[in-house]
Amino acid sequence: MTGLLRPYLGGFAAVVVLQVIGAISGLAPMLAVVELGRTLLSPGPADHDHVWTVVILGAAGLFVRLVATAASSGIGHLLDNRVQLSLRRQLAARLGRAPIGWFSRRRTGELAKVVGEDVSAVHPFIAHTPGELVAAFVVPLVSMVYLFTIDWRLTLITLIPVVLAVALVPLMMTPARLREQEDFDAGMARIANSVVEFVQGIAVVKAFGGAGRAHGRFRTAVDEFVTTFLRWVRGLSGIAAGMQLALSPPFVLLVVLIGGTALVTSGGMAPADLLPFLLLGLGLTAPVAALGHGFDEMQTARRAVGRIKDVLAVDPLPQPTCPGTAQGHRVELRDVRFGYETDREVLRGIDLVLEPGTVTAVVGPSGSGKSTLVQLLPRFFDPTSGSVAIGGADLRELGSRQLYELVSFVFQDVRLLRASVTDNIALAVPDASPDDVVRAARLADIHDRILELPRGYDTVIGEDVKLSGGEAQRIAIARALLADTPVLVLDEATAFADPHTERAVRRALATLKGDRTILLIAHRMETVADADTVVMLEDGVVAEHGAPGDLVARNGKFAEFWRSQRGGNGT
Amino acid sequence: MIRMLLRVLGNEYAKPVRRTVALMTTTAVAEGLSYAFLVPILGALFGSDPADAVPWLVAFGAVFAVYGILRYRSDLSGFRVGITLLSGMYHRLGDHLARLPMGWYSAARVGEVSVLASSGVMRAMSVLAHLLSPFISASVTPLTIIAVLLVFNWQLGLAAVVAVPIVAAIQRWTGRAIAATDTERAERDHDATNRVIEYLQAQPVLRAGGRTAERFQLLDDSLRDVQRASRRTVLSALPGVVGLTITVQAMFTVVLALGGYLALNGGIGVAEVLTILVLAARCADPLLSLADIGGKLRGAQAELARLDEVLHTRPLPEAPDPVLPGGHGVEFEAVTFRHGDRTVTDDVSLTVPNGQRLAVVGPSGSGKSTLLELIARFYDVDEGSVRVGGADVRSIGTEVLMERIAVVFQDVYLFDGTVEENVRLGRPDATDAEVRAAAAAARLDEVISRLPDGWATNVGEGGALLSGGERQRVSIARALLKNAPIVLLDEVTSALDPVNEAAVHDGIERLMAGRTVVMVAHRLHTVQRADQVVFLDGGRIVEQGTHDELVRQGGRYAEFWELSLTAHS
Repeated sequence: MTGLLRPYLGGFAAVVVLQVIGAISGLAPMLAVVELGRTLLSPGPADHDHVWTVVILGAAGLFVRLVATAASSGIGHLLDNRVQLSLRRQLAARLGRAPIGWFSRRRTGELAKVVGEDVSAVHPFIAHTPGELVAAFVVPLVSMVYLFTIDWRLTLITLIPVVLAVALVPLMMTPARLREQEDFDAGMARIANSVVEFVQGIAVVKAFGGAGRAHGRFRTAVDEFVTTFLRWVRGLSGIAAGMQLALSPPFVLLVVLIGGTALVTSGGMAPADLLPFLLLGLGLTAPVAALGHGFDEMQTARRAVGRIKDVLAVDPLPQPTCPGTAQGHRVELRDVRFGYETDREVLRGIDLVLEPGTVTAVVGPSGSGKSTLVQLLPRFFDPTSGSVAIGGADLRELGSRQLYELVSFVFQDVRLLRASVTDNIALAVPDASPDDVVRAARLADIHDRILELPRGYDTVIGEDVKLSGGEAQRIAIARALLADTPVLVLDEATAFADPHTERAVRRALATLKGDRTILLIAHRMETVADADTVVMLEDGVVAEHGAPGDLVARNGKFAEFWRSQRGGNGT
Repeated sequence: MIRMLLRVLGNEYAKPVRRTVALMTTTAVAEGLSYAFLVPILGALFGSDPADAVPWLVAFGAVFAVYGILRYRSDLSGFRVGITLLSGMYHRLGDHLARLPMGWYSAARVGEVSVLASSGVMRAMSVLAHLLSPFISASVTPLTIIAVLLVFNWQLGLAAVVAVPIVAAIQRWTGRAIAATDTERAERDHDATNRVIEYLQAQPVLRAGGRTAERFQLLDDSLRDVQRASRRTVLSALPGVVGLTITVQAMFTVVLALGGYLALNGGIGVAEVLTILVLAARCADPLLSLADIGGKLRGAQAELARLDEVLHTRPLPEAPDPVLPGGHGVEFEAVTFRHGDRTVTDDVSLTVPNGQRLAVVGPSGSGKSTLLELIARFYDVDEGSVRVGGADVRSIGTEVLMERIAVVFQDVYLFDGTVEENVRLGRPDATDAEVRAAAAAARLDEVISRLPDGWATNVGEGGALLSGGERQRVSIARALLKNAPIVLLDEVTSALDPVNEAAVHDGIERLMAGRTVVMVAHRLHTVQRADQVVFLDGGRIVEQGTHDELVRQGGRYAEFWELSLTAHS
């Protein structure tokens, strides 16, 4: 955290210094009243000039306080503003480099909360705490020294409420309390997750939630959260209320007056000396009260900072120190092993060579590791052992920019951005000309549909229009066509598709052939038959490998699979 | 403020809220009044006989005791009521969200609703627990003190009174200035949240497009927008804060100067002037804190306004006298449905008799899925009517309608929970045997035997840990378990590998047996066996008949059929 804040140290110093100047000048009017009291209560005629000097000094102190605190608050908030932006940018940058595998173990809602709310929760840390904390120590310290010089006994008495309040603080920080606070946070995170699910799965909620059952998860999360919260507050509210009472002005005044009356009646103190205690004594508690008041926020901020640090500490997918260069675009996988969890390997030793100018079709039952295999090429994951190389260069030795100039893909899970159609198609080639975009869209059989959209190519997807699965698929194909990389990875996701989309995939493959290296997950046997090579995956290993005709003739696993498809094709 | 709080909460909470507010106000007045005792006490101490102060001191102590009890009780009451409200609010919002029409849920809502329904509710409800009491005490106590001042010395009291309307005016004015920028800021926040969610979910695509954070301008723009909006909020709040401080400090300065003047000219006793200055200081402190509290309160208020807006979005109306559908046929009579200004369904009429199968075919974007959604009443039609068992779906109770319909969607969404929980969603009170039977019929049992924890395996958010085919099998088991007489299928067998497709197909056959079925299909083999086929384009039925009739007709459907045959040969 300190590293993140270093560039802003100057700003912080200004905030703190101004805050301290403001707080100390705030004492001036109090001292003016005290001095006024002394002058007026002293026997003999009052010194008029002295009285007016005192009044003017008091007013001047107020003015300085105003300017200093306003400046401190302004600078602090603007500083906070910049720090928040920089934190968010750093989080986004870090998340953009984390291995994709890291995301599958985390929930979108939770991560979005870190970038959004958690960064906002740091606000008091930056805009308020440094200044207020310093002021909270400096002001009572100055006041206390001053009061001690007047009467040490009454000073000690004045400190009674502060001591009482401070004595209650440890009760708020017992391990049980701290644990409850963590539960509280966890409960909040559960609510955030269940809400994201609830809203995205609304169709299911509606279809099955007649009696409000399907959003039971949300309700459960809420009930658990409220129970936790209630337990926390029940433990805390009595102490908090007691603390507030001890610090309340009437209590402080009562204590000071009892002590003062005792001292004045016994003749141990001049009545005029009581004034500074009445005025500054309250000042002793105010910062403590402010601390107590900001306590919740501070705790929240501290925990938020913890979560931000966790994300910033995620190891990015390592980038090479001196990037290698790919010679050509033959793809080689050498004894590739990979598992999402250490004890469960999904790929168990894959050896594969994809020659330029060929189409390799991966087939196999679900769970055989097809998707994982193809995702290694765009380096969503690094293999746990073995290597994936393009043109002789291990992917780990290629810079990410280089890699993505080599590899593009169309996967089943199409994600379109909430941006214009053009931006979505030109994702990988931001400087593509409109003509190129249109050409790609035509090839992907989506051009006519785009023209029907409210604002054509400028239509914002997800805002102006919601595209069907098939349409989204075709946009993704257009995107890959425009990227025009020598290596293409394709999940023959004719998912959700109508015959148009199927035709688009086919046409894309036909257009792209030539010198390209194409790896695709084939769902349709027609595609398999057209491929140059077939790789039959089973349980993370290559079960069979060869030209489709040869494999059928061999009458092994692939042939069996081929027949089951023939049978299933009646659907 | 309080009024809006009560409206958002609903009437059942009005009483405890009012009681708490009354308690807080009484406490603040008691605090102000207790300071009145300072006058005789200090009068005695600064006078000739300090011992006279003792009885007044005792009285002050007694008043403090009363104040203490009130304060303690009002603090606890604030906490307690706050939590009750929190729980009530969450449930109310959740129930309401479940009742809102599908059309309300645009992509942008995910971010908005997720912020609102998690921390938004919390912030709004924190008003009562944390902010209301300081706010009331910071405004009511100084007012009471000023009243006390007026009683003791009208000139000095008057000097203080002048500040009251100015402070009030500044508070109001600042409130308005901030409200505008605040709303904008909240919008930017929601926008950024959406972008972050999108950025996270689209990571694979973005990486392949070479768009890491630095190059993903959309996210960076929205983050910068958030920064700009929040800077504007800060700047718009500054004049108010400074203005308030100036006013309060000017008041104190005037009282100080006037007090000095009056004391020097013998218009008033020295003890009295000093007491009044002590009181004025007591008055100034809370007023100065008003700016800070006011800002926080406005933040909560903005949140309340957003809650209010969502809660006042009308859900699909429930029929006052719901009717029971007689039978399980489905009819569309001259149905037109618009989404924004796009007509999605245009004058569609069709009839699916009890137990028959209708297949809906057409290019993507032709409104096929919408037909299913209209049957399940995700939306209400703009013209015409959709009938189930002869009754308009709008006149059937939602629960009754949903009991009769099982839907298998094209993109299966599973909840983050175990496989069993997701299947049981179909009928929570089903016995274990029934759940197992449904799983076997959907050939989900094969999948489960492969999973590390069997039935107890967690499927991840959205079912991400299962493959597409496996998710589909879960959703079919869910539908089988529900055992509803009407089945809606939305492109169920798309994009599955042969093994999964065969499995899903078996499950679907079992699901369709003896039920009324409306299915959207593009694998035209499935369509062949339907009793009736409609071909949609641009939301209109362009052809209608059996498969054989339509192929013979040689129209759009026949062309589609040809295309699909060549695609597969």
